[in-house]
Amino acid sequence: MPDGKPNFTGLWEALGTANWDIRDHSAQTGPFIQLGATGAMPAGQGIVEGGEIPYTPEAAAQQKENLKNRMKLDPEIKCYMPGIPRANYMPFPFQITQSQRDIAFAYEYATSNRVVNMGKFKEGAVDSWMGTSNGHWEGDTLVVDVSSLNGNSWFDRSGNFQTEDTHVVERFKLADADHMNYEATIDDKTIYTRPWKISTVIYRRKEKNAQLNEFKCVPFTEELIYGDLKKK
Amino acid sequence: MRKTLLVVLAAGASFLSAAPAWAHHAFAAEFDLDQPFKFKGTVTKMEWINPHAWIHVDVVGDDGKVTPWMIEAAAPNALLRRGWNKNSLPKGTEIIVEGYRAKDGANRGNGNIITFTDGRKLFVGSSAGDRGAPSK
Amino acid sequence: MRHLVCISALGVMAAMAFGQAPSGETKPAPATKSWNQPKTPWGDPDLQGTWTGDDCIGTPLQRPVKFGDRLYLTEQELAEREANREKTEHSDLEQVVAPGQAATIGGPEHWMERSRRPCKQTSLIVDPRDGRLPDILPEAKTRHVGAGAIVSDPKADSWEDFDYYIRCITRGVVGSILPVIYGNGQQIVQGKGFVTILQEMVHEARVIPLDGRPHAGPNIRSFMGDARGHWEGNTLVVETTNFVGNTTGVNGNGGGTPTSDALTLTERYTRTGPNEMRYELTVDDPKTFVRPYKVLLPLTEEPGYRNYEYACHEGNYGMFNSLSGARAKEKKAAAAAAAAKN
Repeated sequence: MPDGKPNFTGLWEALGTANWDIRDHSAQTGPFIQLGATGAMPAGQGIVEGGEIPYTPEAAAQQKENLKNRMKLDPEIKCYMPGIPRANYMPFPFQITQSQRDIAFAYEYATSNRVVNMGKFKEGAVDSWMGTSNGHWEGDTLVVDVSSLNGNSWFDRSGNFQTEDTHVVERFKLADADHMNYEATIDDKTIYTRPWKISTVIYRRKEKNAQLNEFKCVPFTEELIYGDLKKK
Repeated sequence: MRKTLLVVLAAGASFLSAAPAWAHHAFAAEFDLDQPFKFKGTVTKMEWINPHAWIHVDVVGDDGKVTPWMIEAAAPNALLRRGWNKNSLPKGTEIIVEGYRAKDGANRGNGNIITFTDGRKLFVGSSAGDRGAPSK
Repeated sequence: MRHLVCISALGVMAAMAFGQAPSGETKPAPATKSWNQPKTPWGDPDLQGTWTGDDCIGTPLQRPVKFGDRLYLTEQELAEREANREKTEHSDLEQVVAPGQAATIGGPEHWMERSRRPCKQTSLIVDPRDGRLPDILPEAKTRHVGAGAIVSDPKADSWEDFDYYIRCITRGVVGSILPVIYGNGQQIVQGKGFVTILQEMVHEARVIPLDGRPHAGPNIRSFMGDARGHWEGNTLVVETTNFVGNTTGVNGNGGGTPTSDALTLTERYTRTGPNEMRYELTVDDPKTFVRPYKVLLPLTEEPGYRNYEYACHEGNYGMFNSLSGARAKEKKAAAAAAAAKN
């Protein structure tokens, strides 16, 4: 970029299975057995540094409850916005548009998006699904502070959850033109005994005709969500 | 001055349309025009969400029983642009709400007129107390 | 005391100053002071900022017949519009409820967004010359139109009886920029090779490649279409195709007759000053309208104005309540019918 900063503009997507479970996981039957193998959970290495999420005992119990009831509780099933950091490792691409003033992230899943303010720090006026993002450079690393999350998002399909006190600091760094190292430090005194970190690689989509498509999933969820209220 | 203004408005009314017909978002279908209400309640929380903000209040009946109600307002985006924020309606505030009750009889209604107990309307102008969006 | 200027030579001069030659053609008004189009560091015209069509809230899409071919208000009409705007502004700032004011269905009136200055146009449609929508083809008139918000007793058998906005899906491209009573923010962010436009309601993000790549294939269709952009001088020209048909219309909030899969939108964004943008839109749908038509919408940048998240589906209590209300009404009616039988 003319200001000497790396250029993140382009189409990116995570690989791996963090969206199933951000911790190490074995292959297992999925929640919808009708989907057979297509609905089953693959094995995958976790993205949590150190392996474990440092839950308080109450929060650990809450996560287990969430997992048991994930068919009713996982916001992804209802096409709710995935929040941060989950949006970055969904199995859908996202487009970064980097200007000299702001950096826009347009996520394909549920048409979620956020703009990282690169100017003077602005507090969030209200809590939101995608939070309030304020960014700055540390050398070639884009550091993004994400606060005012509303706590309704999960980290994955396995019930690892957030609260309205969850605060995320992301670090984006180009390893080379086509690979982005992504780290996020999460702190939340109400459910964790200490801050913890996730770390993964995000890949630039290189196919000639690759582009952001549209996944407005609300119509795919209406029967599920409102079906009981339909006229019989 | 006022008279002239009224004449002006009458003349121009056809194209000066106030709220356009395609204004609101999902109200009329929810509420019953035959069930108006007006009561005083204590705010327990305000959901600053879309498509409409919702204010939760506890209403004390004549029998002393406390009933939680949900009041549907409007999108909060304009308020946020005028400087109001999630702390602007603290828990415990007493408000008076007028509107119409939910068709399904639940303790829900729209909040068309919402005031404090001193009669001031909720969220008038900007949070800074000035005129809000400045006119050029 | 406001002096109302009579229509006179002044009115004609005013019309020309607003950029309309007496024949009804629209031309961009010349910049009033010297202003240079800023560029991004990589040399593209810089259109960035959060823009809004707020000033034309209330200006109808279709021109009232009495104006004929006239796009711009006379100075007197403009003064009347400004007087009304000020009256609304003052009314919004009234601290107490007017005596005898009756509650209506809807939220508090003063929570709406308002124009900051009077819109100069009689309509947003500028072509055809009468400022009205072209005739709609018979086939298009048979398309299902979902109920909007102000319908008191809509058929509410299921969510599909409501429009795409009430369902919190989308308002379509045009419905996301035509100004309504709130949520009119359009944030433009530019990167090398891309322009992304984030439209506040319903949290849209239009990613527009500028590298001349072809549109997606015909079997990839979407509510917001597939956009491609290029520069013509300082104007961003965006062509959008690949729409799913039979969903949103091109009126405010995406209402009106749903457009078809043959819809092509051509938009032209031209910055005309530090805080002003000219937005021109051509709507061409040969399966819906007998001919294309054009919209002209001035956009402005206002101090401190920014988009806020409009999450919608996540908080759509209204859909639950509308369906639940309809089911309750049916139950009541059924019970009454049963009681009447006995």
